[in-house]
Amino acid sequence: MELLKYRIRTLFKYRDLIVELVKRDLKLKYRRSVLGYVWSILQPLLYMVVLVIVFSNLLGKTIKNYPVYLLTGRLMYDFLKTSTTNAMKSVTGNASLLRKVYVPKYVFTLARVTSAMGDMVFSFGALIIVMVATGARFYPTLIFTPLVVIQIYLFCCGLGFFLAQFNVFFRDVEHIYGAVLTAWFYVTPIIYEIDRLPANVIFFVKAFNPLYYYVGQFRDLVYYGNFPGPRIFWGGWLIAFLMLAFGVWTFQRSKDRFILYI
Amino acid sequence: MSKTMIEVDHLKIRFNLASEKVDNLKEYVIKLVKHQLLFQEFLALQDISFQVKQGEAWGLVGQNGSGKSTLLKAISGILQPYEGTVSVHGKTAPLIELGAGFDQNLTARENIYLNGLVLGHSREFMEAHFDEIVEFANMQKFLDSPVKNFSSGMKARLGFAVATVVNPDILIVDEVLEVGDMKFRRKCNERMQQMLAGGTTLLYVSHNVESVKNLCDKALWLDHGRMRMIGDAQEVCDAYREQQNRDIHTRKQEKRAKLRAEGKKYDYLVVGAGLFGAVFANEMTKAGKRCLVIDRRDHIGGNIYTEEVDGIQVHRYGAHIFHTSDEKVWKYVNNLAEFNHYINSPVAIYKDEIYNMPFNMNTFSRLWNLKTPQEVQDKIAEQIAELHITEPKNLEEQALSLVGPDVYEKLVKGYTEKQWGRDCRDLPAFIIRRLPLRFTYDNNYFNDRYQGIPMGGYTKMVEKLLEDVDVMTDTDFFTYRKEHPELYQKVLYTGMIDEYFDFCYGHLEYRSVRFETERIEQPNVQGNAVVNYTDREVPYTRVIEHKHFEPEAEAADPKKYSIISREYSAEWHPGMEPYYPVNDDKNNALYEKYRELADKEENVLFGGRLGAYKYYDMDKVIAAALDMAELERAPWKKSRKMGQ
Repeated sequence: MELLKYRIRTLFKYRDLIVELVKRDLKLKYRRSVLGYVWSILQPLLYMVVLVIVFSNLLGKTIKNYPVYLLTGRLMYDFLKTSTTNAMKSVTGNASLLRKVYVPKYVFTLARVTSAMGDMVFSFGALIIVMVATGARFYPTLIFTPLVVIQIYLFCCGLGFFLAQFNVFFRDVEHIYGAVLTAWFYVTPIIYEIDRLPANVIFFVKAFNPLYYYVGQFRDLVYYGNFPGPRIFWGGWLIAFLMLAFGVWTFQRSKDRFILYI
Repeated sequence: MSKTMIEVDHLKIRFNLASEKVDNLKEYVIKLVKHQLLFQEFLALQDISFQVKQGEAWGLVGQNGSGKSTLLKAISGILQPYEGTVSVHGKTAPLIELGAGFDQNLTARENIYLNGLVLGHSREFMEAHFDEIVEFANMQKFLDSPVKNFSSGMKARLGFAVATVVNPDILIVDEVLEVGDMKFRRKCNERMQQMLAGGTTLLYVSHNVESVKNLCDKALWLDHGRMRMIGDAQEVCDAYREQQNRDIHTRKQEKRAKLRAEGKKYDYLVVGAGLFGAVFANEMTKAGKRCLVIDRRDHIGGNIYTEEVDGIQVHRYGAHIFHTSDEKVWKYVNNLAEFNHYINSPVAIYKDEIYNMPFNMNTFSRLWNLKTPQEVQDKIAEQIAELHITEPKNLEEQALSLVGPDVYEKLVKGYTEKQWGRDCRDLPAFIIRRLPLRFTYDNNYFNDRYQGIPMGGYTKMVEKLLEDVDVMTDTDFFTYRKEHPELYQKVLYTGMIDEYFDFCYGHLEYRSVRFETERIEQPNVQGNAVVNYTDREVPYTRVIEHKHFEPEAEAADPKKYSIISREYSAEWHPGMEPYYPVNDDKNNALYEKYRELADKEENVLFGGRLGAYKYYDMDKVIAAALDMAELERAPWKKSRKMGQ
């Protein structure tokens, strides 16, 4: 209990630092580019256009308003990809600093995931534009989307912690994780509907792919206008907390040895 | 009052060298399969225990890799101890590296905030102190430029300003103030002094032992991860520096020994380990050349050689008093030895009368009981006028026409006759061109700006010059040349130039002196270092009492005895020690002929008193040797100098 109090106190003490780091990440990403924050919107938009042209005939025939369907999945996946990839490099990338000054190391990981979330929130702009352009309905369930964002945020924090500490000891994790992410994209119903998969694969995806839960919930709220079913809703929360606990546990266990490897 | 701020107890920090090299999964798996994941332990620190009290300034010294930075990291919480404990009571501000945490792409303004937050301040706090930081760093103009465009000095300024914005309880500084300009460093030093005065505890690491001495009162010397010495900063730093010098010297010696064993050719063979040869060899060694110095005598130093006899430095080849007006040379010798403030004011004894030298108002007032310079000048003029000498035919007439009969009879005649072994009337007039008379009460023999004796003797000074040079004493050049003609590239010859050419045109002449050195069981024999005997009846020309050259050594350790040397003039014959060249027309003409031969001699330089057949004071010897070394190092300057 004392320890927990202490942890919360340090987190509180460094809150300004986290805010500043998030601001730095966002600023640096958009500084010196003409379009600035518009990129956050433009990027997924352009990407979507390409995918729609390629896949709408192939997969999208049965899906109505394919662009919105695609984008709702894509946004979740992009957040997972950006946040965890950045988080993975958060300790090694700040090595010069960590070697010199005592700063709680998780601060950097947390900041990276948070700035990716900021990025995602900007990208919602793209979604809104597409929805307006395609004449999609704006369901009242939209207001529940923050619940999904919080879930995936917690999940990505956990995964980020795990990757960040793992990457300290094994630098080739970066390459392995790159391959994992590509595979992850295809085993998640982003560009296709899950029903298209064979039954045994559907079971597999539903049981073992956490991203399915967040894409599913998000799509329910935005695309279908339903409240997600209890299985994916509560499942999503459970997975998020389990991942967070696992990430924090692995990170805490090895953080004192980081200095020897960075 | 003074509470303990940092307590380190049996600290041990361990690194695993083997596993730290494996940083990817592939290798890890391969090694795991091959059972190669060995544990290779490295103890960066062990058995470190010390306590730092509030307000103390501690310096950490030690070589690279001795664990200084590791210790600082352990104290600032970056590294966890493997064994033992580190407890820190208070707010720490680490300056382990200035600008740690600067993002190169952000502006100075943004970095000030970021850096402050990294150091654990709140945003509110940084806003309140922003202007103060900017002012200290003197950054007003560059606030909105990215830090990547800054010079390292500017980054240092910014980093220091941010890190010291609070008065931390503990300030940790690691080799960071070596960058930046003088003004800024002074500013930093002042700030640190202020903080110290305000009760901040300082941990300071620097390669610059002097700055540790200045700033710190305690010091810890780390050696290969262990505590070598702990205590007063002065003592620790001195001991550390001494060890460093010893290490450097040993390494150089080893390298020299290796090259010697390999039979590698020397760049220079320096003949004569006197002042000229030693200065030249030292300069060339510093320029990266290899020199071998040989000397026929069984000691180095040539004629400035001093040897310690019963605790007294004895000038074996006559009194040597260093004096110069050349600032460069004075600085040069002061880097080699510590000089005392000895001032040469000899005393002359004529029968039972005592006179001050050189001829000054003290001398004249004793002679004639006169008081004012005017009276003395009138007296001398009157005496000279009475003689009616128009054209002096010999030395006696010359001297008389310069100083008058009283001074001449009592102070010049006997001394000169003993020196030359001839009657003054038989000596040519040109030997004395002028006899300076001083109409002030000033007994200082030399007119130079700087004067003194190296404390501990001249030999020590020459040893220092030859510290990193191979030296062989008891080695005759002509024999060595026959035996090892291939072992050297160039020669600097500081012996007698006529001997080098086998006296092919005949012998150059020298004046020689002989010494009788004696220990006398009296603490003080004559009350002055140099006493001249100016009457002809006493056989010696002067008596040197060596202890008076170094009064501070005598004061530190008073002795009940003394060592004196009586100096006799001696007729020089070939084979005797040559002292003073006799620069008369005949000898100078002969020297010119040898000089021509010398100019034709390839790869041989001639220098020093005997090589250049010239009377040199020590300062002139040094200046000449430095010039020669410079020309050797940078031959292209030769033509320029000659063109002038």
